[in-house]
Amino acid sequence: MSFSRIEALKKQLFENPREVSIERALLYMQSHKETEGDPIILRRAKATAYILDHVNISIRKSELIAGNRTIKPRSGIISPEMSPYWINNEIDTLATRPQDHFIFNDEDKKTFSEVLYPYWKGRSLKDYISDKLTDEVKATTRLKIVTLNQTDKGQGHIIPDFENILKKGLGTIVDELKNYHKKDQTNHFYQAAIIVHEATKRHISRYAILAKLEASNTTDETRKSELLAIATISEKITTQAPDTFYEACQLIWFICIALQYESNASSISLGQFDKYMYPYYKKDIERGIPLSALKEILKCLWIKTNDVVLIRSENSAKYFAGFPTGYTITLGGLTSNGRCAVNDLSYLALETYQDIRLPQPNLGVRINELIPRDFLLKTAETIRLGTGIPQIFNDEVVVPAFLNRGVSLEDARDYSVVGCVELTIPGKTYGLHDIALFNLLKVMEVSLKELEDVPNIGFDQIIEFIKKNIEYHVNLMVKGSNLVDIGHREYAPVPLLSSIIDNCLEKGLDITEGGAKYNFSGVQGIGIANLSDSLYALKKIVYEEKRISFKELIIALDNNFEGEENRLLQARLINKYDKYGNDIDEVDYISSDLLRYYSKVVEKHLTPRGGHFTPGSYTVSAHIPLGEAVGATPDGRNAAEQLADGGLSPMVGRDSHGPTAALKSVSKLDGYLLSNGSLLNVKFSPSALAKEDGLHKLADFLLAFMKLKILHVQFNVVNAKTLKEAQKNPSKYSGLVVRVAGYSAFFSDLSIQIQNDIIERTEHEL
Amino acid sequence: MKGLIFNIQRYSLHDGGGVRTMIFFKGCPLHCPWCSNPESQRFQVEEVRMLTKCLHCKTCTKNVEECPSGAMVRFGTYMSIKEIIDIVLKDMVFYRTTGGGVTLSGGEVLSQPEFAIELLKELKTLGIHTAIETSGQGNTNALMAIVNHLDVVLYDLKIMDPTLAKELLNADSSLIEANLIALVKKEKKVIPRIPLVPGHTMNMDNMNAIMNLVLKLNLKEIHLLPLHHYGATKYDALNIPYKAKDIKVPTEKEIAKLKAFFEGNGLKVCIGG
Repeated sequence: MSFSRIEALKKQLFENPREVSIERALLYMQSHKETEGDPIILRRAKATAYILDHVNISIRKSELIAGNRTIKPRSGIISPEMSPYWINNEIDTLATRPQDHFIFNDEDKKTFSEVLYPYWKGRSLKDYISDKLTDEVKATTRLKIVTLNQTDKGQGHIIPDFENILKKGLGTIVDELKNYHKKDQTNHFYQAAIIVHEATKRHISRYAILAKLEASNTTDETRKSELLAIATISEKITTQAPDTFYEACQLIWFICIALQYESNASSISLGQFDKYMYPYYKKDIERGIPLSALKEILKCLWIKTNDVVLIRSENSAKYFAGFPTGYTITLGGLTSNGRCAVNDLSYLALETYQDIRLPQPNLGVRINELIPRDFLLKTAETIRLGTGIPQIFNDEVVVPAFLNRGVSLEDARDYSVVGCVELTIPGKTYGLHDIALFNLLKVMEVSLKELEDVPNIGFDQIIEFIKKNIEYHVNLMVKGSNLVDIGHREYAPVPLLSSIIDNCLEKGLDITEGGAKYNFSGVQGIGIANLSDSLYALKKIVYEEKRISFKELIIALDNNFEGEENRLLQARLINKYDKYGNDIDEVDYISSDLLRYYSKVVEKHLTPRGGHFTPGSYTVSAHIPLGEAVGATPDGRNAAEQLADGGLSPMVGRDSHGPTAALKSVSKLDGYLLSNGSLLNVKFSPSALAKEDGLHKLADFLLAFMKLKILHVQFNVVNAKTLKEAQKNPSKYSGLVVRVAGYSAFFSDLSIQIQNDIIERTEHEL
Repeated sequence: MKGLIFNIQRYSLHDGGGVRTMIFFKGCPLHCPWCSNPESQRFQVEEVRMLTKCLHCKTCTKNVEECPSGAMVRFGTYMSIKEIIDIVLKDMVFYRTTGGGVTLSGGEVLSQPEFAIELLKELKTLGIHTAIETSGQGNTNALMAIVNHLDVVLYDLKIMDPTLAKELLNADSSLIEANLIALVKKEKKVIPRIPLVPGHTMNMDNMNAIMNLVLKLNLKEIHLLPLHHYGATKYDALNIPYKAKDIKVPTEKEIAKLKAFFEGNGLKVCIGG
């Protein structure tokens, strides 16, 4: 019985093409028109409340967990209050663009063009940001040195304090808010939070009513009792704290949906699910609830996390391809008092995922010296299925990395993964973990070009000049990021989300105003592998071997290595000089020094909310568009060719000494500084991990990874041959899930460029 | 002291347990027609052009250092113990977590015994698990000296018939057998490895002879190494005729049959090491 439900739910989710839904946008606008003159936070709260009260809701066939953001599965909802422009520009190409298609029906297009666009034109978040960005910042974004994110959509990248919500229930939280409000009656945050909380409770009640109605309309007795159960649970958790595992899962999902209406943001992640859900699991097991029933609920929740997809602009979809919606879960790790945190639910989460094998939830496993061998093997077994899930995080690096950022020891041990690979302290952090990307290789290109005509320029001078430029452009990135940060404060406060983030209630502030306990802005340095390869080759060929002059090299790069002589030069640059990823100190130390330099420059800067900027190094899928922006480089890379994938991975095809050497190169980077997260891709052939023996090999490999103090690793376990087949016959492989970058996606959902990139990544035998 | 080494391969998984670094000694007294590393055979440095990588420049310098594509390669470098140890140490973490270590292979390690002993001594000082892969064709005293510093010996048994072994491989099968017996007496872990080459080693007479010897010596485990042709392009580059070129690689069925044959006699069998 349960098997057919799970298959039916999966099928239901994917049987029709994705569509755009303008329902939220229309409701938001209707409310917004009525609240002219109110403070922004109240206008937002009222708009969210209006949506929660009026949006169409549904309970789909066979569902046990209720709560749909849209009636049709996997629809993209739009938020033109953030930016109406990209939608307007791309209204006719959404269905045909290279990445992340959505169908936009004609009637809705018309409504958008005639109603929504004219209303929001000139008054969106995007307008604020575009007006205020200085020419200098705009210049660096045009050069593609800096990419500012979240200028046209919700900020997201946050983990609500689910533990607290489950313990207290919504009723108690509203009571607390009211108490705070009584003491500080003019505080708009409290007022706003009460409005959205009351609306969330009403929204959940609507599901109780709907479930009852559907129960009375069905003749199927089994379904009737399921619907009545949904009704009872929904009614209860409107105010009371959940008691059972089922009730707790249902409350979590309702909160996720309400948060989606509020900000339509990527990556409102689920945090340490096995930790905060364990008490409910344990109680149910003790009460004699069959494990199979709990498993079914869990699988229903897992499937649900695939229903929410984020519609992005065409450009943004290149950087974040294939819907990394970020229902990221972190399993295992340490308790706040330093003991092993693995419990039965950690195993169950992996086991149930093995039956689902969808891109979400994006599971991650924290490993440390205390991890039980059994759990390590369960982890390896799940990785072996080839969906790229779970990804692995190393407590031995992450905990000290957070201590270095001034986080308390207990909070540091409690860290969790948000979004793709970003690191956060759950329930306590507004970290803007995905606020900007910084293209280190482009900085090098610009720097070399500026130095082209300096006579007798030395290698050390080049390095110093690149460092100076890194500092200059990081400064601009900070200015841009802080403006976006303030833009969200001025245009898009999130009172519902804020009310479930620690310290906002005590401080009486929205997270956008600095209400959270920890306030970071995370910025990603990208292209470190190509940068070190390039500088090492430059040093060798120009300064040590003196084969050509600096100027001649620059001219060859300008010509993108065209012509016979340049072709041989390019071959020499690729083949004759050592590359990052092969465990050669001389080249690896260049990358480690420069990434460290970048990190130290970044961490000096402050956010408008009082916290520091934190460096990370991961690309999501941005190594492709950011590569397009960079001309030929001295590592032999052609103009517009992609950059190294992941963030810390070696350039594709340049690591020839096997995975131990690649891992060793990565281990020389100062992972302790990359407190916003980093990313390493490793690809294994399925045969390498076959049988019991293969599992142990992978488990041992993970232990070595841990001892090398590398922060993150994720795996693709699929043959290049299979992927090529899937490229040719996408319909035959519609269920093939692969790892992209910190998240997994359906292979058939990816553009040809990203597909090729995944095929090219070096495959290792184990 | 220096040894002539033609390759150091990190992350080897099939030659002695765990993640291993393989040190390949150059020069071999045998000339097995199916050898997958023809560059391992001669006792001298060789420079060749690998056509697969060649860019066909207008004028070829024939110089390894100058060739831009890396098509001109040098097989063989005289290396010091320290140079080798420096590379070995890079993967120490992996030896520890996977139960791996270092394996000396060839060519034939027994052809450079003094160097092998010094290298193994140094590895043992560092607490590293050691293995060798040998044809057994070498001086018995040298082998006995080497084995003192070894944890595992991977010992090839190719062709048991003395005449055939001499003719085809230039091997002295009685010496090889005597050396194996001497090794077993030393109470070292010895694992025989049998290359599966249709028409040469894969006949039942040969397999029975191997089985009898293995059982007589009370060994528990063997490795079966099926023929492959991955080394073919190197033969062309080295200008050595590849005599096994037309031999079909054994089928999975044939391999399974032999596996069952050895397992039926109580042996643990591993395909491919």
